[in-house]
Amino acid sequence: MLLVARRLVRLTIVLLAVTFFTFFLLDRSPGDPAAALAGENATEEVIEQKRAELGLDRPLVERYVDWLGGAVQLDFGDSIVTAGLSSWDLIRESLPKTLELMILAELMAIAISVPLAMASATRPGGLVDRMASSTAFGLLALPSFVLGIYLAFVFGVHLGWFPTIVNRLPGLNDDPLENLRQMFLPSLTLALNLVAVYHRLLRSDLIETLQEDFVVLAQVRGLSDRRIMWRHVLRPSSLNFTTAVGLNVAGLIGGALIIEVLFSINGMGRLVIESVVLEDFNVVAAVVALLTVGYVTMNFVVDLLYSVLDPRIRHGAR
Amino acid sequence: MAGTGRAALHDDAVLRVVDLVVEYPLDRKNVVHAVSGVTFDIQKGTTLGIVGESGCGKTTVGRAIMQLERPTSGSVELDGADVTQMTRRELRAARRSMQMIFQDPVSSLNPSRRVKDLVREGLEVWGLSEADMPPGRIDDLMASVGLGGPAVGERRPHEFSGGQCQRIRIARALVTDPEVLILDEPASALDVSVQAQILNLLEDLKEEFGLTMLFISHDLAVVRNVSDRVMVMYLGKVCEIAPNSSLFDQPTHPYTRALLASIPGHQLDLPPAAELISGEIPSPIDPPSGCRFRTRCPHATERCAAEEPTLVETSPGHFTACHYPHH
Amino acid sequence: MAPVDATAVLNDVGERAAVSPSADIASTGASQSTPPPRALGVTFWLAAGWIAVLLFVAVFADLLPVRDPDALGIRTREVEKFERPGWNAPFGGDGVGHDQFARVIAGTRPALIIGISVTLIGGLIGMAVGLASGYLRGKLDAVSALLIDMALAFPGLVLVIAVRAAFGNSIYVFVALFSVASVPAYARIVRGATLSLSERAFVDVAQAMGASKLRILWRELAPNIAVPALAFAFIGFALVIVAEGGLAFVGLSLDQITWGQLIADGTGEINEHPHVSLIPATVMFLTILSFNLVGDGIRSHFAPREVATRRRFRTEGPPSPSSGGSTLRVDQLRTTLHTQSGDVRVVDDVSFELDAGDCLAIVGESGSGKTMMLRSIVGAFALADVTRSGTVEVEGTDMLRIAPDELRSVLGSHIGMVPQNPLTALNPVRRIETQIIEPMRAHRSISKSQARAEALELMQHVGIPDPERRLRDYPHQLSGGMRQRITIAIALANQPKLLLADEPTTALDVTVQDQILRLLLGLQRDLEMAMILVTHDLAVVRGFADRVAIAYGGQLVESGTIERIFNDPKHRYTAALLSSVPDLELEPHSRLVTIEGQPPPLIDPSPGCRFAPRCPAATDLCHTTEPERTDDEDRWFRCHFPVTGDAEIETAGSRSTRPADAIRAETQGVN
Repeated sequence: MLLVARRLVRLTIVLLAVTFFTFFLLDRSPGDPAAALAGENATEEVIEQKRAELGLDRPLVERYVDWLGGAVQLDFGDSIVTAGLSSWDLIRESLPKTLELMILAELMAIAISVPLAMASATRPGGLVDRMASSTAFGLLALPSFVLGIYLAFVFGVHLGWFPTIVNRLPGLNDDPLENLRQMFLPSLTLALNLVAVYHRLLRSDLIETLQEDFVVLAQVRGLSDRRIMWRHVLRPSSLNFTTAVGLNVAGLIGGALIIEVLFSINGMGRLVIESVVLEDFNVVAAVVALLTVGYVTMNFVVDLLYSVLDPRIRHGAR
Repeated sequence: MAGTGRAALHDDAVLRVVDLVVEYPLDRKNVVHAVSGVTFDIQKGTTLGIVGESGCGKTTVGRAIMQLERPTSGSVELDGADVTQMTRRELRAARRSMQMIFQDPVSSLNPSRRVKDLVREGLEVWGLSEADMPPGRIDDLMASVGLGGPAVGERRPHEFSGGQCQRIRIARALVTDPEVLILDEPASALDVSVQAQILNLLEDLKEEFGLTMLFISHDLAVVRNVSDRVMVMYLGKVCEIAPNSSLFDQPTHPYTRALLASIPGHQLDLPPAAELISGEIPSPIDPPSGCRFRTRCPHATERCAAEEPTLVETSPGHFTACHYPHH
Repeated sequence: MAPVDATAVLNDVGERAAVSPSADIASTGASQSTPPPRALGVTFWLAAGWIAVLLFVAVFADLLPVRDPDALGIRTREVEKFERPGWNAPFGGDGVGHDQFARVIAGTRPALIIGISVTLIGGLIGMAVGLASGYLRGKLDAVSALLIDMALAFPGLVLVIAVRAAFGNSIYVFVALFSVASVPAYARIVRGATLSLSERAFVDVAQAMGASKLRILWRELAPNIAVPALAFAFIGFALVIVAEGGLAFVGLSLDQITWGQLIADGTGEINEHPHVSLIPATVMFLTILSFNLVGDGIRSHFAPREVATRRRFRTEGPPSPSSGGSTLRVDQLRTTLHTQSGDVRVVDDVSFELDAGDCLAIVGESGSGKTMMLRSIVGAFALADVTRSGTVEVEGTDMLRIAPDELRSVLGSHIGMVPQNPLTALNPVRRIETQIIEPMRAHRSISKSQARAEALELMQHVGIPDPERRLRDYPHQLSGGMRQRITIAIALANQPKLLLADEPTTALDVTVQDQILRLLLGLQRDLEMAMILVTHDLAVVRGFADRVAIAYGGQLVESGTIERIFNDPKHRYTAALLSSVPDLELEPHSRLVTIEGQPPPLIDPSPGCRFAPRCPAATDLCHTTEPERTDDEDRWFRCHFPVTGDAEIETAGSRSTRPADAIRAETQGVN
């Protein structure tokens, strides 16, 4: 329990530091939202008034504390650019698409990489392994935007199976098939990058575990290879894999932003880039806060998962 | 089982360890009592063997003497100077006359460096170069440890076998001309035939360089072979310290007797080990009160729980920390 | 902005850095040398060639005979709008008729400038931070770990946006930005590698010699970090190119032509004119691939790891005619491991037989093949490419030639195995109960509750106090001795006829060793099992076995009763081995007999007697002809010139033995 508490404290520190630093950076950047809002021909007085309205004339720390107070109640302030909408409204609209993209990608990646890694590890150096490993090596060298272009070209342009642009995405409840058809290429792009990482990691851990004494002894006890793989090998080999899944969330967010641009998805990526360009700093700060919370939470979940996966960690023996 | 007795000390010791305590904080509440008040000394040109099972603190004693672990309390005197009180600079100088050889010969050598550089390093650390030494000193040393030949120095550790790596280690330790050599299981990772080579080599070098040695091992037969005096440790305390023959022929401490009786195929006049020891070693976080061996000792009484035994002389030079020593 | 692949690549490199170049092929014990530096393959040189071409192009871009990258084809009429790739424009033209070939070449320079400077600046700072915090630890480490945590959590995009807005988007700003951003990554891998290196003994050794901390950092640690760091630098270089591309994609990159920008510009045309984005995308892909390949090649060249060979078991030749009757019959068994360094003959013409109630000790030094003899009986090879020939019969069943299903059934019901290290032999994440019950339920049709009852009984039998509670424990909650009792219980789960014990007490303390050996021998006698006890410890053999076989160079060189072998060894190696062991009966400071030289290689062993190169009595005959087996009453040996009298080996004769029977008598009642 003490460990959990210490983790929480640490994560809170990270959270505060990141959001404050963001706040600070945004404040220092030369764009002036008050001037932008007041319009091009506004007098200095009008701008000054706007600034006071927005609370921008107060000291940075005071504003940050204020913002933090609102943020814990999901009140991130109004969007400066889109009149009548709060930052949270804008996020609520775009978040589900990004989440769907990330979750689909993660599921696809796990569904592909786990069986593939097991097949590779069963016969290292065999045909399956050599093909899977070199494909993974190639995929590692493919940035998501390059891979996305390739996939769009092959499946979208050449074969014409999937749309290359997400257009008027129907809700997952309204028309699940069309939704998934449109989201397929973006998710696959994101997933394949993950597959390369996961396969490589899980394969080498599986091979290492397969050479452990307890696995060899299980073989000597006459247990079937399949039982050994599922019951004896997979769980002890999955610690690094779990870490990668959890920590890749940060990378996944970055990747998702690019994919959204590539496939024209109106998700968080588009939102944050547009907000930056339009200097809608309330929205930017809100998005950053949410991303960091997501990352930090995943970190925490991974830590908890460790102790589920490995009793030695549960008992503090390691 | 106490180390609180100073009865066994000599006047003419090269190395003297008094009331050495090493504790590691585990968390806020718990402390690992690795070594709890150990006192002994070594006379010039002799070998003291320390035996004990894992967790008895024998390795920690060696490391604490070298100040690789800072002792919690107690003193370590080298030629009368207390190394625990030294400044960093003085300590560096003192380390020149104390060298330690570790168990794993392969991982003790930096894999990316040539053998010649490894041996020479012992000098460079002191700001000396080969030029400050009698000519051919390094070559002589290499020959002394059985690694003669011109090309040897150019090779890297992974090209050598475990036994040869241990020879390199020994040459490296001897290059500064140390007085005291601490050996932590120097032959345990080696095969018996190679072990014999290293043990013979150590005996030769002891003669040749007039070394004083502290030989730490779990292997009683090896300790029997190399030591002049033997000290038995259990759970951070000294049980018994005696001249080699006396300890093996007339062990008086119940733990020593159990240890000797456990040696497979021994010829000693002892009952089966199962009658001399029971149960498992307690945790060093919360060691038993009084005599630390009492939880496993067939002779333990209430007195053993209440009162910690001190080292007493049972026969000339033979000291035991037990309320009921075997006669 | 961290690309998806970064974390895993980091982990991977960090983990590999921990594996030293001197790590040996632990599992087989077959070879004492490290694998030779892996040759750099064709792909490495192709990749290096591509990088060289890029460097050339980047340096001499202005001198190359290509068009002005900014020339508008729609004006100059040299390149058409969306011209397809061809002789005129090898990479085609874009929407305004830019020559894409010229533009790709123009993008080479910023890519390399950013890549090289970021790798140098970020890499060096990161290495310094990583080395310092990994070695010095303490507060410095805590602070840098927290900073690294934050850096990894910080959305890079925001940083880029803010910095770009504040300082503009010149190439210097980008280099500074990426350098700062890459420090945590380098620091993390170097810190990880340093941490694991500082646990190795040579760091302690240097400290004990009086070396200063700075010296240890610089002389001991840095050189060992250099190779993994260099390897990672190439991979990090690729990551910088990816990052620039990503920024270009969201419209935040440099003001000049970069590959990322070319790709981004072309994506809108993917349906109509795919070449506009596909070609620069491919150039970028090839470049990243090349850097990854070179990084990987450097790593595996300098720190080769024995790549796990494929798992393949084969059997050659016919079985010898079955004689039936005995519990275990091994006849002319040969086992060859096919490794990258060559074929290792780990077991070479080994024959013996065991009946119910027999106990044979196989003793030998490391590399003698003793463990492999045991493993060859049951085919326990983990990942290896193995060929066996000869015969192994358990209760009349040919173990080398039956179908896998039948083999599993014989293994599960007739054979129990007790491992060397009980900690690694038990699955760390499964409860004791699951592990004991599993073999029972796999080979017998019994209910879970019945199996549990049997497990309890077994645990009592092997001397585990409070078995009810222990069943629910995990292995790490038990002491070493208790763990070994558990593995014995598991081995006995299906009442085996044959018990194979592989150094069962090597990992244990001497008082525990005594308990475990007595337990094993008591069980073997009570249950009338045949048992093989493999060990390196002659004292254990003398104290506990009835018969012994001496292993050397993959062969058995001598075998017989304990009394005969210990009192009157015939083989020269046996005699030398026996007298090299320090013994309680020897006077202190006795000189031990040594065997000069090294154990024989198992790859391409010399033709004659395996011991000949180290044997003082060897003649030409010994070097050329393998000695035949000579039977001599209750023992046999393979030696051309056996030891004739006690005088020759002084110490060997002076030892008396303790008959195993006496021990047996003693063990009664202990269990």
